[in-house]
Amino acid sequence: MNEPTADDAMAADYVMGLLEGAEHAAAERRIETDNAFAQAVSAWRERLADLDATAEETPPSPALWQRIAEATKIAPIDALPSARAALRGATLWNNIRFWRGAGIGGAFATLLFATIMIGALITSRQLRNDMIALAQRKPIYVAVLVNDTTKEAGAIVNAFANGRVELIPLRPIDVPAGRTLQVWTLWDRAIGPKSIGLTGQSRTLQLDLQSLPETVPDQLFEITLEPEGGSPIGRPTGPILFKGNAARAL
Amino acid sequence: MAGNGTITAGARSFAPFDQERELQLAAALARCAAGDRAALQLIYNSEAPRMIGVARRILFRQDLAEEAVHDAFVRIWRGAAGFDPHRGSARSWLYAVVRNRALSIHRDEHRYETSDESAEHIDCEATLSRMPETSTLRRCLERIDRPRRDVVVLAYVHGMSHGELAGKLRVPLGTVKSWVRRSLFALQECMG
Repeated sequence: MNEPTADDAMAADYVMGLLEGAEHAAAERRIETDNAFAQAVSAWRERLADLDATAEETPPSPALWQRIAEATKIAPIDALPSARAALRGATLWNNIRFWRGAGIGGAFATLLFATIMIGALITSRQLRNDMIALAQRKPIYVAVLVNDTTKEAGAIVNAFANGRVELIPLRPIDVPAGRTLQVWTLWDRAIGPKSIGLTGQSRTLQLDLQSLPETVPDQLFEITLEPEGGSPIGRPTGPILFKGNAARAL
Repeated sequence: MAGNGTITAGARSFAPFDQERELQLAAALARCAAGDRAALQLIYNSEAPRMIGVARRILFRQDLAEEAVHDAFVRIWRGAAGFDPHRGSARSWLYAVVRNRALSIHRDEHRYETSDESAEHIDCEATLSRMPETSTLRRCLERIDRPRRDVVVLAYVHGMSHGELAGKLRVPLGTVKSWVRRSLFALQECMG
């Protein structure tokens, strides 16, 4: 890397908290107006972020949230146009909106197509039964699991009123020898991710959520690549292939 | 381009659980920008204890730390639309707001006194050892000799100014400034 520029040094000092008075104010102004400087600041924040994670968690007093709630009763001033832009920035949300927007009929048509495609890859009578079941009953929650890098939808999770939860892959997933696909859900941060399914290949899975409470909005589902037999530590260790949050089906 | 590469590299170094959290925080910020207060509470429930911890390392007092986190959440609520997920992570954006507020309170109300005992007990090495072994920042900090690397921890984590660093490390102001400059340059070179 080249010698850091004066801007880099100023951005670093700003993020470190070493600027005071006029210099500090000047840096804050430049973040608003100078895109390159704002990027240098962001880069320094990312570099140093691991230090924030070393802080010991200290419970706030119970009254603190009440005070914050009081102080934030008014909606942000620039809520409307920029908020839409912000929502567009959140790609996962986008995807859910896409699926909702496409309407459940459109989603079913896509599912039908995807299911047939997968059916051709993996011969399965159960798939066809699932397809019929899908047509007969609509899920309450749907999560579209998307690959973070390619933004491709890889699978759909459907949660039904009777507690049945299923995963339907939308594309074949290449599983190397000695590895397995593991499905997780994060229902409660305090408990952490729970394993709900394990499979050697991308196929429709009935997920085991019996030990967990009912699916809720925004509940996270994800598929990771794990050693054969599943993650040895009971938490995801491998790369996340696809992930998505549950949204109520219309 | 260097900036973009760094952000991507940073994101890849997250543990899987952190990646989930990051996605949830980014989505919650988008919802805050749209005026969804439940999303603000979601961020609070998930991050407030850690944020209090971050503020306490700068302010030492619980009441001041809560004040900083209170102010931070008001700013997060008003400024959520300014968060750009393409530029950096939600996590670093949120914690930057908290540190800004804590530093501001620290400057206004709680300058370290030479007799301030709480500042005496700061252990930079313990902070370093709390970072995961896989942390690139940890690996790069460990490549910088002490006490030069301490200035990074003391300034970033405990909000010390150049003057306070010089006082604590008992070296001239010019030396501290050069340690800061060289340590940050070394970090940038090591981390990309």
